[in-house]
Parts: sequence; C-alpha cells; structure tokens
Amino acid sequence: MSEVNYDYKTKELPKSVFTTGIALLIIGTVFGVIGLYLDTQRFLLNYLLAFALLISVGVGALFLVTLEYVAGADWSVPIRRVTEFFSSTVPYLLIIGIPLLFNIGSLFHWSHPEAVAEDKILQSKAPYLNTTFFIIRFFVVGLLWTLFWFLITRNSRKQDITKDQVLTKINIRYSAIFIPVFAITISVASIDWIMSLDPHWFSTIFGVYFFAGTVLASLSAVTYAVVKLFENGYLHPKITKDHLYSLGALLFAFINFWGYIAFSQYMLIWYANLPEETFWYLNRWEGMWIYVSLILIIVHFVVPYSVLLSQPAKMDPKRLKFAALWIIFAHLIDLYWLIMPNYHAENSNPWVYLLEFAFPMAAIGVLCIVFYLSYKKSNLLPLGDPKLERGLKFKL
Amino acid sequence: MKIDYSIEAPAIEGRLSLSQIEELIAKPLDSKPDKKFLLALSISGSALALGALCVLLTFYYGIGLWGNNQPVGWGFDIVNFVFWVGIGHAGTLISAILFLLRQKWRTGIARFAEAMTIFAVMTAGLFPALHTGRPWLDGYLLPYPNQHNLWVNFTSPLLWDVFAVSTYFTVSLVFWYVGLIPDFASLRDRTTSKIKKVIYSIFSLGWRHSHRNWQHYEKAYMLLAGFATPLVLSVHTIVSFDFAVSIMPGWHATIFPPYFVAGAIFSGFAMVVTVLIFVRKIFDLEHIITVNHLEKMNKVILATGMMVGYAYAMEFFIAWYSGNPIEQFVFINRAFGPYYWAYWIMVSCNVIFPQLFWIRKFRRNIPLMFVISIFVNIGMWFERFVITVTSLHRDFLPSSWGYYTPTLYDIGILIGSFGLFFTLVILFTKALPVVSISEIKAVADGAQPSHHGEGGH
Amino acid sequence: MEKKLFGVAAIFTTPDDIINAASSTVKKGYTKYDVYTPYPVHGMDNAMKLKPSKLGYLTLGFGLTGTFIALFFMWWMMAMDYPMIIGGKPFFALPAFIPVTFEVTVLLATLATVIGMLTFFFYFPNNSHPVHDTSFMKKVSSDKYGVCIECADPKFELEGVKEFLTSVGGIEIEEIYYAVKTEQRIFDPKFITFLIGVAIATSGGIYFALNKLMYMEPFTWMQTQQKLSAQAETKFFTDKFSMRPKIAGTVARGFIPYEYKGLALPPVEIVNPSVPDEKNLALGKKKYLTFCSPCHGNHGDGDSRLRGQFPNPPSLHSLKVREWNDGNLYHIIVNGQNVMPSYESQINVAERWAIVNYIRVLQKAKNASPEEIEIARKEGK
Repeated sequence: MSEVNYDYKTKELPKSVFTTGIALLIIGTVFGVIGLYLDTQRFLLNYLLAFALLISVGVGALFLVTLEYVAGADWSVPIRRVTEFFSSTVPYLLIIGIPLLFNIGSLFHWSHPEAVAEDKILQSKAPYLNTTFFIIRFFVVGLLWTLFWFLITRNSRKQDITKDQVLTKINIRYSAIFIPVFAITISVASIDWIMSLDPHWFSTIFGVYFFAGTVLASLSAVTYAVVKLFENGYLHPKITKDHLYSLGALLFAFINFWGYIAFSQYMLIWYANLPEETFWYLNRWEGMWIYVSLILIIVHFVVPYSVLLSQPAKMDPKRLKFAALWIIFAHLIDLYWLIMPNYHAENSNPWVYLLEFAFPMAAIGVLCIVFYLSYKKSNLLPLGDPKLERGLKFKL
Repeated sequence: MKIDYSIEAPAIEGRLSLSQIEELIAKPLDSKPDKKFLLALSISGSALALGALCVLLTFYYGIGLWGNNQPVGWGFDIVNFVFWVGIGHAGTLISAILFLLRQKWRTGIARFAEAMTIFAVMTAGLFPALHTGRPWLDGYLLPYPNQHNLWVNFTSPLLWDVFAVSTYFTVSLVFWYVGLIPDFASLRDRTTSKIKKVIYSIFSLGWRHSHRNWQHYEKAYMLLAGFATPLVLSVHTIVSFDFAVSIMPGWHATIFPPYFVAGAIFSGFAMVVTVLIFVRKIFDLEHIITVNHLEKMNKVILATGMMVGYAYAMEFFIAWYSGNPIEQFVFINRAFGPYYWAYWIMVSCNVIFPQLFWIRKFRRNIPLMFVISIFVNIGMWFERFVITVTSLHRDFLPSSWGYYTPTLYDIGILIGSFGLFFTLVILFTKALPVVSISEIKAVADGAQPSHHGEGGH
Repeated sequence: MEKKLFGVAAIFTTPDDIINAASSTVKKGYTKYDVYTPYPVHGMDNAMKLKPSKLGYLTLGFGLTGTFIALFFMWWMMAMDYPMIIGGKPFFALPAFIPVTFEVTVLLATLATVIGMLTFFFYFPNNSHPVHDTSFMKKVSSDKYGVCIECADPKFELEGVKEFLTSVGGIEIEEIYYAVKTEQRIFDPKFITFLIGVAIATSGGIYFALNKLMYMEPFTWMQTQQKLSAQAETKFFTDKFSMRPKIAGTVARGFIPYEYKGLALPPVEIVNPSVPDEKNLALGKKKYLTFCSPCHGNHGDGDSRLRGQFPNPPSLHSLKVREWNDGNLYHIIVNGQNVMPSYESQINVAERWAIVNYIRVLQKAKNASPEEIEIARKEGK
C-alpha cells in the first residue's frame, strides 16, 4: 500500500455559485407560482420536467460513480468527487417529488376511476397503474437510491481520513449491487413518471432510452463542472487534458448510444406501423410538435456528434464546455418532447410559456446549490483512494 | 485474497523478456503438429464432414429436408445464423471497444477473439445462403444492374443483413490483418525456412517496424476501432430488426436491438472463454492469457447476462402492461406452452447460472467457468430458438398452429457448423500467432520508456 | 552486382535509450532517418517531432463519400428508377435506408483507411527496401531498437554519423547497402506477353462467369418440373397436344348445340330474344372488341391490322349485312363463314345476341340519315 502525501489543498468555491443557484431557484419559483395561478396542468407537467432533469443528473451521477468502482477505472478517480457532488441531488429527489404525488390526479389519466371504468386497456393495467402502488414505488425507488448514495459517498469521504483500502472493496460491492438495482429502478421511474403519462402507449426500450438521456445529462453536468474547475485551477495540477479527453470520449460514446436507442425505438414503431404504438409518435408529429421532433434529432444528435467527432475536440476545454452545456439543453428538449405533448388543455394566455423557462432554471439552481453545499463538505480530491495516484498519472 | 488497488494488475504475468515472448508465441508455428492436435482436428473435421454431407443433400433435394414448414418457416437455419453471428461479436468487442477503453488486458486475447469472430461470421453466413434454397443465385442479393432490370429491396431487413454481415466480415478481416502485419514481419525475420519466409514476406507487405509507420499505424488502429465499435452494435441490431420490424407478437419489441447486442456479447464472451481455457493450457500461454483476464471476461459475462435477464423481464412486463391479449398469450405460451422446456433452459442457462460469477472464487475457478461458459452457449442458442420458434408456432390463427421439430439434416448441419468453426480455429492455432506479438511486447514489463509522456519535450 | 550505401544503422537496447537517441538525432539536424522498434514506443512521436498523422482526413472523406453514395443510389433505385410501394412506406423511406447507409459508410471508411495507409503513407508492398534481410532488421524485429540515418540526408557523412551514433549509445553500428537494380524496360517482350495473358484470362474469366456460369444450374429440381405448358408440344399425350380437345358428346353449361350448324344461312328466321339496353350493349361491345375486332376492326369496317394477311374480312356496313336479319348474323357467329371459324365454343348464347345488337349499333352509327341524327342529337340533350 502506498502512502502518498498529496501536496494539495481544496480551494474554496466562490460564493457566487451558491448565490446564482439561489437566484435561479427564486426566479424559477416566482415564475412557477405565477404559472400555477394561470394553468395548473402545465405547471405540473413543467414541474415534472424539472424533476426528471434532477433525476437524470443526480441518479445518473451516482451511476457514474458506481461504474467507476465496478469497472476499476483509474482515470476518473481524481475527478470522482465532482460526480459525487452531483449525486448529492439524490436525497432531495424524495422531497422534490412529493408535491407531484399530491397531484397524481391532474397528471395521470389512469388515476381517474371513471376513466378506467370505461377503458378496457386501463382496466387491464390497473394492478400496476394505481395511485397506491404508484406512491409505494416512488418511495421504494427513492429510498433505494438514497440508501446507495448514502453508503457509497459516506465510504468515499471516510476514506479521505482513514485511507483504508477495505472501503474501496466495500464500495465496489455496493456498486456491483447498485447497478442492477439502478437498471430496474430507473426503468420503473421512467415508466411511472413519463411513459404512463400516455397510459395506452408502451415500448420495451423506454427504460433504456431514459437511461441513455440520464447518463448524458449527468455526464455533461460533470464534464462542465470539471472543465470549469480545471480552467480555474481548482483541480490537482496533475489532472491534464488526457483526463478531459476521457470525459469527451465518454460523452461522444453516449451521444451515439442515445442516437442508437432513439433510432431503434422510432424505426421499429415506424416500420411495424401498428396504431397502438404509432399514435405516440403521431402526437409528436402534429402541429408545432413536428418541429420539436426534428429539432430534437439535430440538437440531441447531429450537433454534439459533429462537435465532438474529432480527437482534439474531445480534449479542448472550450469545445467540451460548449458540448456539455449543449447536451444538458438537448436533454431538456428531450424531456420536453417526452412530457409536454401530454398537455391537452387549451390555454391562450401567452404568459404561461414563462413556465417553460422557469422550471429548468429552478432545476439548474438546485443543482448549483447542491453542488456548492456538497463541495463545502468534502475534499475535491479523494485523498484516501488507493487508485488516486494511478489516476493522476493517467496518460493517453 | 487481498487486492492492492493502488497497483495496476500487470497485463502479463512473470517477467518475460521480449525475445521470450516472441519465442513463446511463435512456438506452435515452428513445431510439427502433435497427436493431440491431430486428434482434435479429426474430431472437428468429422463434424465438418457430416455437416458438409447434410448441406450437399440439402442442395440436391432442396430445403424440404429440413423441419421448417408452416407455420414455423424459420427454424434451425435462422437460429444457427443468429447464434453464430452473436458468437462473432466478442472478438470485435474485445479488440475495438476494449482498445478504445484502454483495457490492457485485452492484448492477450484480442487476436484469438478476432480470429474467432471471423470464423464465426463465416459460419453464420452459411445459413442464410443455405436457406435461400439455391445459393448459387445469391449474387442477386447484391444491387447490380442485372438482366431482370430489378433492384434489391432496400427496405427489407433481410437485405440489411446482407450488407451488415458482409461489411462486418470485411472490416473484421481487415482489422485482423492490420494487426497481423507487424507479426508477419517479426516471423519473417526469425524463420529459417525459405518457403515460410516467402509467405511471411508476402503477407508482411515489407513491414520494417519503422516508427514513421508505427505512428500512422497506431492512428489507423484507433480509427478502425472507432468504426468497428458502432459496426459491431449495428450488426446484431440489424439481425434483431429481422424479427422486430415485423408485427409478430414476441418479435415486435422495441428493446430487441440492445437486447440482441447484449446477448451477442454474452454468448461471444462465453465462447471465447471456452476456447481460451484450452488454448492457454495447450500452448503454455498461462502467463499471457492469465486467470485475471479470464476473471475479467467472466465479469463481462455476468454483466451482459444480467442485461439479457433485464430484457427478458422487460419483455414480459411490457407484454402484460400493453394490455394486448395476443402479446400476453405469446409470452405465457413461451414459458408454459409446448416449448416450455426451451424457455426454461434459456432462462436457467443465461440468467441463473451466470449469477455464480458474483463470487470471486468462482470467477477464477477454471473448471467451473468452463462449465458455465458451456451453459451460456447452450442458453444463448436456446434463446434464439425460443424467439424464433415459439413466436411462430402459434400465431394469430389457432387453426394453423403447429409444432416444429428439426429433422436429422437440421441437426447434422448444426453439428457441421461447429465442425467448421472449430476446424478453422484449430488450423488457425497452428498457422498464425494466436497472440499479438507486437502488442504483448508493448505491454511487457519495462517495454515502455520510464518517463514516457514527459521525456522528449 | 554493384552495391550502394543506403545508410548507417545502430542498435539500442532499452526504450529509454532509443527515445534519447531519437531526440538527439533530431537535435543534431538529421532529417532523413528512421527509428525502428519492434512495437510502438510511447513518446516517440514527441521525440522524433513528428506531425500528427493526417490519416483521419482520408477516413472522414471516404466515410462521407460512402454515406452519400449509399443514399444517392438507394434514392435512385427505389424512388426514381423502379419505384415500388413496399409495406405502405414512401418510395424514399429514409429510416429504412439508414442501416445500409451506415454499413456502406463504415465499409468505405475502413477500406480507405487501411488501403490509403498502406499505399499512400507506407508505399507498401515494399519487400525490397534496403533494410530488409540485414542483421539490423532481424534485431529490431525481435527485441532491440534501432536508428538508421540515411545517405540521402544532406548532413550525411559516413564517419561523422558513425561517431554520432556511438556517442548517443548505439552499439553494433552497421552500414546498410542495397543492390543497384538493372533497368527494366516496359516493352520487354516477356512483360508484354504477360500483360496480354492477364488480359485474356481476366476478360475470358469474366465472360465465362457472366454468360455461362450464371446459367449453369447445379441442380434444377425446382425449375424443371413435370408439367404441361399450354402452347408447347408434350410427350405425355399421343397426339402431342398439351391442350386437350373436348370429349365428343359433352355439352358445356351455356353452350347448347346449335341446330343449323353447317348450313350457309338458317332456313328459318331466328328471332333475337334480347333487349338492346345499356347493359346488353356494353356486354356486346366488350365481346365484339375481344373476338370480332381483330378482323372486322373496331368499328366494323374490316380494317383491322390483320388486313392483308388473310382474304380481307368484309365490312359489316355493306348493304347485304345491313339488310340481313339478326338471325343471320347470329348464324354466322355460331357457324362461321368462309375463312371465319366458328365461335360456338368461345361465346355463349347471350353474348352472341349482345354482339349482334352491338353490330346493329355500329351500322346505325355509320349509316344514319340526317333526320335520324337530328333526332338523336335532340334526345341526347
């Protein structure tokens, strides 16, 4: 076991991160409340969108942490803390989700007994899609995430002091258990919160589709934060562009993965042309939604693909930063495309569209606050991790 | 066992010198085949001969000899095709994806796995060709201005297969050959036989280990890996489209593409483990193909096995969730209908047995991993059988339900396909270096400059 | 054979030494040199100050070419040249074309990368390079590292280079020579014969493959079946006809035998039982156009395209025919006349009368009096 003393002290993060976060959250909330007054359904759908974004970033980050442990990767060890900070969103998800639970009736068609009574398909789904089971699932899934988040990040922080290799071993075990749990829970969450908005529609790949977006969102949040910290000299000086390259390459890989999954889903439904499936895409092909659908292809696949294609782009801080922000934006559009076509009411008040900006702002505000608070609580470098030295030495 | 996480596990065990590495890898090429080799070859050759006989009879009498009939129009031929294409996925995965992920442990097994890919794809390609009934007319599958004034149907997934499998075969072959060029050069410079020297010279193209070449070579290798990675996904995706673009319940599921890819990697890795266990023993390559490597492969088997399990579960759940009675029936029928045995063989071999790999001891236990890898191969074969046959044998019209039974010719051709694959593998071990010489040298102890990356600036 | 100096090579034993040697060589100002290592040594690009490989541009270029070729040809084949509706999809069904587009892109890009690298970047195959078959090559091929400074370098000077290589730690300094090639003429008769041979073999092979091999059937169970082909001779029946004649004495439904068969005209007037309404005339027109028009012409003028090949079929507008009663026309259809065969077995009774009615319409149309036209015009309005 190597005992290395790192000549490294975590610099304090400027308070502006926190204040920006608070400001975004307040602005978002104010506009949100105005929106609530104007149109409850739209308010709730937007709230759901922000909630889904936080799930993506938070749980996705936790997945990335566990992936590092399971895969035995070393390059990501020096920047793992950034990922852990984002994963600290996980426990708040339980609180953030609760207002939605009180409004299941306004969000989900299947929760109306009178609708179920005249709909045979909904009747057959009732054992799964009912309010009680939905709430139980929400808490089970949320608590499982929180539990693993708590165990893994606690061990990681404890290791800073004890420098005990056993903690790595334990975390590898937790991570190995978490990954299958994650696969199931993220599928359940995506089916519950997004797919069941349109309760007749079904697609077996939907969990994987949401997973692809999740990883992209969290990875780009991490990339953005790492590049920012890297540029401003917060990170260990031995962290080089080679580390950035790995992040860029992963982003690129998952852009492709998302494109692959999205295409597979679309292609199979388009080709088979069964009305019980196609209506979901047709809803997203009507009126202005056709533009959102087409923009999604460009924003979520074509642009980031082209930006990150070349090898130098994957290690260029500027382009990486752009790509990361762009992908978060793209993920928002993706969520918007998944969620908002389920808005059925007519509302001519143009102010209601402010909601579309308010909630993403609030969500990003929450991420800033969480990041700042968890940054304060621990080292930026996992000093006790036995793989740290290997990670710092990492060269392409 | 205690693991020190601060040290990277070495890619090869024991401190072999560069010339020892070369000696070790080139040894099988210089020695005369021994009895064990000939025995193995005769067994696989007999299987191949049996298969060839069945194929010839099929040519002569037509595919009426097979068990395929209404309503099961796709039988062993497609099952075997998908199975072998799946086996072919591990090689490119190891050589391309793990290369991009910079996993050094891949060096010991990459060459062998790539060779298995090529042989498996060759074997796989046989089945669609046979199923066309008159394979000598398969030239019409290519879009060329033929005398019938007809183009091929580009909207058909079966045609995509033609493109995907042939592209995959070509790219794998090129990738493999590019990897072999420096090794041919090394062999050329060490051989004493004149004939061998001529052969090696031709294949080495005059490679001279120049660094001005190595620079482009490494770049090309990375570009090829970058292309092979999405390609390997696309191939099994397209194979899954063969089923999933239809409206057949049990086939039409959007999860098919990633599910098939995971299954392909799963079965491919299992086959690689099965073969490598023997190869490392017979050719004294225990230092180069170490238990650590096998353990890592077993981890991948565990992971992909669970992905496949996820897909089984998701299909079942969504079939129920869809509220479509036909969809629901198909899945109940799979598990409890006339082919229940195939379904449960599939589930137990693919999902249940690999769970043993959660335990480190089992992952490193050679006899056990051999048994499990065989189970996985069986399970994955049955997976394709279950998908193909159980969906077809009871379709929308109950009056046309039937029960598919393969004939002896089907089984003969299946055995023959294993014969072909293993014959090629066995011949390969004697004809070419089974491990990449130059790559292993590059990861050997002390092979890289001590201060690399910092020096020379 | 005359030998010329190619360069001076030195062997190094460790990777650190070779990195050092390479950077010293660069510092010393040599440009025509190369480093030989049995595997790619990390950091060598920097030590040799090599520019990044430009291979990627080739890959990108050919990859994009593949994309466009695939899309263009699929568009042309499926939407322009031979459009067919398949599965209710549009002619240019983009989602369905993506798999093939992707495969062609990858195929072209990889082949271009490898072939481009081997030919444009390496100038391979090159088995006659001077360093081949030297003891230097044998070592760098196995476990040593080497530098070779070539004569072509402007700073090359034999002793100086040797000294330099020794000074940076090189051992086993070796001078590498190559044999001067005797000049080869393009118009060497042997070479020309070889070329002609290749040309004949290639074209002959292609001709054979496309014109003969393609039509050789190994097994023809599926095409050659024992069946009767309607117009062909058969060995199955003794009379060699595939189409069988009617068995004597059988009567088909709707074809009651005609009693005045064989007479020139019926001895009594046969009364037309049908009513020439719209439906009946439509039937008559259809049958007339099918059976009668090939000889009598579409309008009964006897001006069909068969005119000239037989004795001319008479016009149906002659006074004789116009003045015949319906029964006579019926009789000719059933019985035939002169060259005209009997249509008894093709046209049933109702259809025969419909044809008669239609002929009457044709006759009226051609030979109407002005008054009748006037009446028709008024009624038509």
